Amino acid sequence: MAKTKTDSKDDSEKKKKNKNKKTFSKKLLSGPSVMTMKSKTPIESPFETIWSRKKFNILGKKRKGEDKRSGLSRFRAIEKRKGTLLKEYEQSGKSSVFLDKRIGEQNESLAEFDKAILRSQRARQLKVTKKSKFNLSDGEEDDDIYGSGPFSEKDDFEEELPPDDDADLDEMEMKSALLKHGNGSNINDGIENKQKSKKEVMEEIILKSKFFKAQKAKEKDENEELMEQLDKDFTSLVQSKALLTLTQPSKMNALNALVNKASSKEFTKKDEITAAPPRKEISKQEQPDDYDKLAKEMVLDMRARPSDRTKTPEEIAEEEKERLEQLEKERLKRMSANDDSSDDDDDDYKDLNTSSAKKLKSISGDDLGDSFSLEEESDVKKGWVDEILQRDTDNIDDEEDESSEDYESGEDQSDEEGENSEPERKTSLKDWEQSDDEKLSIDLEEGEEEEDEEEEGGEEEEKEEVEDRTMNREDMRNTKDIVTAKSKNKNTNTNTSSVGLSKTNGKLTLGQDDALPYVIEAPNSLAEFRSLVDDRSDSEVAEVIYRIRTCNPITIEVNRKKMQVFYGILVQYFAVETNNNPLDLKRLNILVKPLMEMSAQIPFFAAVCARQRLHLIRAQFCEDIKNPEQSCWPSLKTLFLLRLWSVVFPCSDYRHVVMTPAILLMCEYLMRCPITSGRDTAVGSFLCSMVLSVARHSQKFYPEAVIFLRTLLMSALATETKLLQHSQFYYLSELKMLNPWLRLQNCVSEVQPLDFSMVMNRPESSPFFSSDGFRASVVMSVCETLRGFVHTYEEYNSFPEIFLPVSTLLNEVARQKYISGALQDTIKDISELIEKRAGEHHMLRQPLQMRKQKPMPIKLLNPKFEENFVKGRDYDPDRERAERRKLKKEYNRERKGAARELRKDNQFLYALKEKDRALREEERTEKYGKARAFLQEQEHAFKSGQLGKGRKRRR
Amino acid sequence: MIPSNNRTKSGIIFIFERASLVPALVGKAYQILNPDDHANFLRRHKKNPYDYRPEIIYQVLLEVADSKLYQSGLVQAIYVKTDEGLLMKIEPHMLIPETFEKFCALMLKLLQKFSIRARGKREKLLRLIANPVTQHLPSNCYKIGLSFSSEKRVHLRNYVGALNDDVNLVFVVGAMAHGKINCDYTDDIVSVSESPLSATSCVRRICCAMEKKWKLH
Repeated sequence: MAKTKTDSKDDSEKKKKNKNKKTFSKKLLSGPSVMTMKSKTPIESPFETIWSRKKFNILGKKRKGEDKRSGLSRFRAIEKRKGTLLKEYEQSGKSSVFLDKRIGEQNESLAEFDKAILRSQRARQLKVTKKSKFNLSDGEEDDDIYGSGPFSEKDDFEEELPPDDDADLDEMEMKSALLKHGNGSNINDGIENKQKSKKEVMEEIILKSKFFKAQKAKEKDENEELMEQLDKDFTSLVQSKALLTLTQPSKMNALNALVNKASSKEFTKKDEITAAPPRKEISKQEQPDDYDKLAKEMVLDMRARPSDRTKTPEEIAEEEKERLEQLEKERLKRMSANDDSSDDDDDDYKDLNTSSAKKLKSISGDDLGDSFSLEEESDVKKGWVDEILQRDTDNIDDEEDESSEDYESGEDQSDEEGENSEPERKTSLKDWEQSDDEKLSIDLEEGEEEEDEEEEGGEEEEKEEVEDRTMNREDMRNTKDIVTAKSKNKNTNTNTSSVGLSKTNGKLTLGQDDALPYVIEAPNSLAEFRSLVDDRSDSEVAEVIYRIRTCNPITIEVNRKKMQVFYGILVQYFAVETNNNPLDLKRLNILVKPLMEMSAQIPFFAAVCARQRLHLIRAQFCEDIKNPEQSCWPSLKTLFLLRLWSVVFPCSDYRHVVMTPAILLMCEYLMRCPITSGRDTAVGSFLCSMVLSVARHSQKFYPEAVIFLRTLLMSALATETKLLQHSQFYYLSELKMLNPWLRLQNCVSEVQPLDFSMVMNRPESSPFFSSDGFRASVVMSVCETLRGFVHTYEEYNSFPEIFLPVSTLLNEVARQKYISGALQDTIKDISELIEKRAGEHHMLRQPLQMRKQKPMPIKLLNPKFEENFVKGRDYDPDRERAERRKLKKEYNRERKGAARELRKDNQFLYALKEKDRALREEERTEKYGKARAFLQEQEHAFKSGQLGKGRKRRR
Repeated sequence: MIPSNNRTKSGIIFIFERASLVPALVGKAYQILNPDDHANFLRRHKKNPYDYRPEIIYQVLLEVADSKLYQSGLVQAIYVKTDEGLLMKIEPHMLIPETFEKFCALMLKLLQKFSIRARGKREKLLRLIANPVTQHLPSNCYKIGLSFSSEKRVHLRNYVGALNDDVNLVFVVGAMAHGKINCDYTDDIVSVSESPLSATSCVRRICCAMEKKWKLH
């Protein structure tokens, strides 16, 4: 487009130029240059026909304005320069210029006649100017200027209005139309209306204002009607029930009051309405309406009706505490009432007792924590018992007998022992009941007989018995309660010291007499706690701990300290209990659960506690090991604490503040303690089983345990020579002093599982440790632990290396003379298992080979391209940079263009100057030639002697 | 593969003749013509839509890029000569776009800008270069043209295996749907199959043969 435009312009210019050139040539230019130009213009120069070459033929592209005539455009550029630059150049030498300023003379498109018109117009305009207004007219000119002067409006001739006034007329008409509208009545026609008097106008205005007032009054009436209607509707709504359900009662009253007021107002309003309606309205508007207020409030009401929020743990704890306190109060109240009415003391007491017992039962049955604890405890204990007492399955007769004998001997020391006389029993719910039931028997021997019967009779009988018991339980309970009460009385008699202690706490003494107090403060020392707990049945101990914990919810900040102290006491109690002889495992189990829960609540304190104890234990151990005579194997307390921690804290952590040192300590025991007696083998194997339980969780490798087991197995070998065969790791266990601790002398018919507590209670030198039965059971337990390790480590790549020597050792042990059938079977089992797993591992192993060098793929680069690429668009994501680049590009283009133009200008000027110079040169040479020719001729004549004569002759 | 062997292998060069990469102004945007989208457009311009097959060269390039040879850096260069006589050079470490649309966009940009750089680098991956292609080939090269029309039928693996390792092998393959390559600069023109092969399978055979020869696995 642009190009075509310029083309047309150029064309027109060219024509002009041609014309001009002719004039110019006549005026200014000298002959030859004119001739050259003339020759160029009329004929189409062959250079102009040069076209730009197109490179690609692209399908679908319109080729219209694309082609360029480069020769032609060049020619046009030159022509343009001739029009501008050439002229400037020519003018540059001149001091004055002739300018033609006649009107229309510049514009060539105008004809001569049009030019004349333009000139006359200009003349008229000059006359119309302000100055000329006051000039006296010449008469003849009046016609000409008619209509343009100020007087024209006042002219007599109405019909011949000048064209200028047409607009005015229109305006007037419009006005009149408007007025017509406003009045809506008879108003004169436009022509008459045109000239309105002031009076008329005022009338109109008054009319208008009246009309508007009337309209306003009408609207007001309508509004009032509407409001009345609304009021009516509202009262009916208030009386209907729909609103009643939605609003609160207080609001409802307010609403009713409002309605009443409104109705009364209505009446008054009707009276007053004639008197002063506008004033009332104003007042109404000024003060906020009651209704509005109420409506606003109700809007808020509807939204804010929240449900009960969920309670925080603190609040739940608080509630629980309150409940217990309430119960306690009731209990105390009842108790005092009992004292008052001593008439039916016994019956009431009994009832109360039963009820309280029932309540206790119900608490322990319904309560979340407790019922849970029963389940949980059995679970936890199962783990315990499995680990500790894996060995006792059915027949613990002789051992049991022994232990019960012990009990009998120590029976009169305390009843507590007697109560807990059935030691190792899995605490399922049944057993609980059973144990409760057995409290019936005051005579311990009876109970033992029962027990013996049960155990001999086996499971089924037991079950039957249990069923029977559950049937009779209700009947029995009464008697049982009496019995327990009696026994407790006895307790109070015997344990004066504890009573004395407990008397310091009024509540406690009260509680201790019959039932547990509901609110128990957290004890501050072990003695205090013991006074609470001693002589209690296990379930009661659990209850005591539970109540202490609920009464002092740990979520409240004040109780935190208390509970920490209590936690310390519990741990201490636990440790002390383990030292008891005989071991009261059931009670320990009861302690485990609260300990676990509390450790979860106060993990930091628990960890600190445990670490402190670990420190002490370790220090003790270091002391012990220096003394070769003393056995440095851990005491029962240490073992149980270690076990407790492995339950309480996560053993699978990669690194744990308590468990890591605890396990290290266990391994250290296994590694450093010399085996000096048969008892040590039992302790060691127990430690190994504990390590196994940890290893199961953590999947870590504990070489100490495996080596210790191996050592034990080696000590079961018959001959010394065989021991030497395994000397490749002998150095590891040089401390162990390999004596044939476990070598069987005679055939053992049946391998009995070990009763660990019993083992621990025996003195080291007891002949029991050298008995074949004990040895066989230790070997059995070692084998079982080994099996556990095999299962735990079977995924290890180094499995064959770790366990294959063990399996050969096992085979050797199995080949011993006196190994019984069952033992042999398990040993063979394990060794086969090991060999199978090792075989699998060997199968998976691949021979060593050169590391394959993977061919490195070359790095591939992503090409940068865009969808819908358009040439010339900048795809830089940084808009600012793109913009800058664009501007830069444009600037460069402009700069280059300008430079090119300047260059061409210079070339043009140079060519022009060159031409001039050539012309001058030519003239000069011509003149010079002429002069020279003349001189030559003269000289020739002079020389030839014709000078004088010739002249003379010519003249 | 042991990298030290790489030095002895000079690598191969592919030349694809008569590739159909024709840009056209369809509507308001430039597009590479293909028979699927532009059949009507081509018919309107009295062209046979099935002469415009840009996907052939695309598939061929994909095939080359997929080969072990390419990934081990043993393809020295790829030259593509279009039906219109434009010659473009593809650097051997260019990632071929994963879709045909993207490939077309790439080619359009190349045809408008004459060169394409790597993303995030200044390095040029694609560019249009001057004809004839022989001036860009190394001096000691052996140019093998593959054409079904050739009289000389060979088993490619044996044929390639017999060639000397220190010459640069140049394979000239046609990337067109119909017709045959007509180039006079080849040293040898062979036919490798009983039936006419697609360019893709032809390239696959070449790559397989070369991988066998150089024991790339």
